[in-house]
Amino acid sequence: MTFVPSGYYNPDKPMEGRITDIGPRHYAEFLPPIIKKNKGKWLWHEIIEPGILMHKAESGDEVYTVRCGSPRLLSTETIKEICEIADEYCGGYVRFTTRNNVEFMVDSLDKARKLKEDLNSRKHPGGSYKFPVGGTGAGITNIVHTQGWVHCHTPATDASGTVKVVMDELFEDFQKMRLPAQLRISMACCLNMCGAVHCSDIAILGYHRKPPIIDHEWLDNLCEIPLAVAACPTGAIRPTKTKITTESGEEKEVKTVAIKQERCMFCGNCYTMCPCLPLADKEGDGIVIMAGGKLSNCITPPKFSKVIVAFIPNETPRWPQLAQTMRKLVDTYAKHARKYERFGDWAERIGWERFFELCELEFSHHLIDDFRDPAYYTWRHTTQFKF
Amino acid sequence: MAVVEFKGKKFEVDEDGFLQRFEDWCEEWVEYVKEQEGIKEITDDHRKVIEFLQDYYKKNGIAPMVRILSKVTGFKLKQIYELFPSGPGKGACKMAGLPKPTGCV
Repeated sequence: MTFVPSGYYNPDKPMEGRITDIGPRHYAEFLPPIIKKNKGKWLWHEIIEPGILMHKAESGDEVYTVRCGSPRLLSTETIKEICEIADEYCGGYVRFTTRNNVEFMVDSLDKARKLKEDLNSRKHPGGSYKFPVGGTGAGITNIVHTQGWVHCHTPATDASGTVKVVMDELFEDFQKMRLPAQLRISMACCLNMCGAVHCSDIAILGYHRKPPIIDHEWLDNLCEIPLAVAACPTGAIRPTKTKITTESGEEKEVKTVAIKQERCMFCGNCYTMCPCLPLADKEGDGIVIMAGGKLSNCITPPKFSKVIVAFIPNETPRWPQLAQTMRKLVDTYAKHARKYERFGDWAERIGWERFFELCELEFSHHLIDDFRDPAYYTWRHTTQFKF
Repeated sequence: MAVVEFKGKKFEVDEDGFLQRFEDWCEEWVEYVKEQEGIKEITDDHRKVIEFLQDYYKKNGIAPMVRILSKVTGFKLKQIYELFPSGPGKGACKMAGLPKPTGCV
């Protein structure tokens, strides 16, 4: 490939003419004129139909927002297409939501309906919708997810793949508003939990089941041993010396670590700190499902999501067991929960034992908290329970 | 793993240009990194930072936290960036021959 210099950068004088600390562009530069005009003066809003919102301003102005799904991982071609749509309908203005949906704003319902029709008619050559309209109200909106096998080095599962599978399975609920309340699904490919899995109605989480493999020959060279020791939440890692035969056949004693396997719970934190402790494993790795979390303060305070399925294997490329479990959870919730009740509110009202019964989930010892003193508070200290 | 040659010395490095073994560090390494890291001349201040990083690593097995580096050398973070434009991790630690920083960086 030919190197084309940008003209702004001279590698011999890297600091010359360097622009820094200018921050992001101010959002007001990109506000549609009607939003700019009525900013801070909105009176009320309503959801006209799935995917279309209307906001009424004090001035009487109306803004219609058409929300459509996006896979989050986008090519520049798709972004260009989004820009073309925005140019055609919205004067070149468009925005992305905090769940990575795309929102186009227009000033009349007719335009919004026309735009919705256009968006729903655009498809990829494989047949999937490019910009399916929906994601509003008491339905299922986009899945907040992570990098997975596309870019990260610590994942236990894939993000884009599992998310596509789940959204395919639950697609109808993206375009409908039939649930008792909104259902937030999130995905993280390891328990670093980048994103929102710890506070989502249903969460998909990548999980390991085998301890790290130790590369003794390189460990002291590539890792700061005390950091690896301190990275372990259960104190399973300790520094040690060991005799090894190197790849080149030389025998020597090296500084390294030892891992007490029965104390290791496969979090992978030590690998994050030390590249010589890899633990990804094809058969060992899979998915944990958590449920019942929420962020809003509406009626009940925010909640953490709780582990409800201890393990689902990685079944590339369509993760059928994952899809099936998600379907069961959503349908059971839709059938049994009361209006406005979030997933966690419902499970807590009926009791978790009833929740496991209704969802036909297996309750195994993996689900009982055993992490330090606070585990005690998750056990039942009452005679109140249902048979 | 790549091997780079500089002034008759050979260094095993990773894809980010960090030395694979602390023992391989020598004067030539500093000269070699200087060129990539946009540093014109190694001053006494550069030496002070490098020496402290190496001392600390030998004693403790880890790189110091930025606050410790600042407190002991007396250089504020701003001054460290003036000395090492890529910063204390990518610039100074690399030049001192310390292992590559890990974690969510």
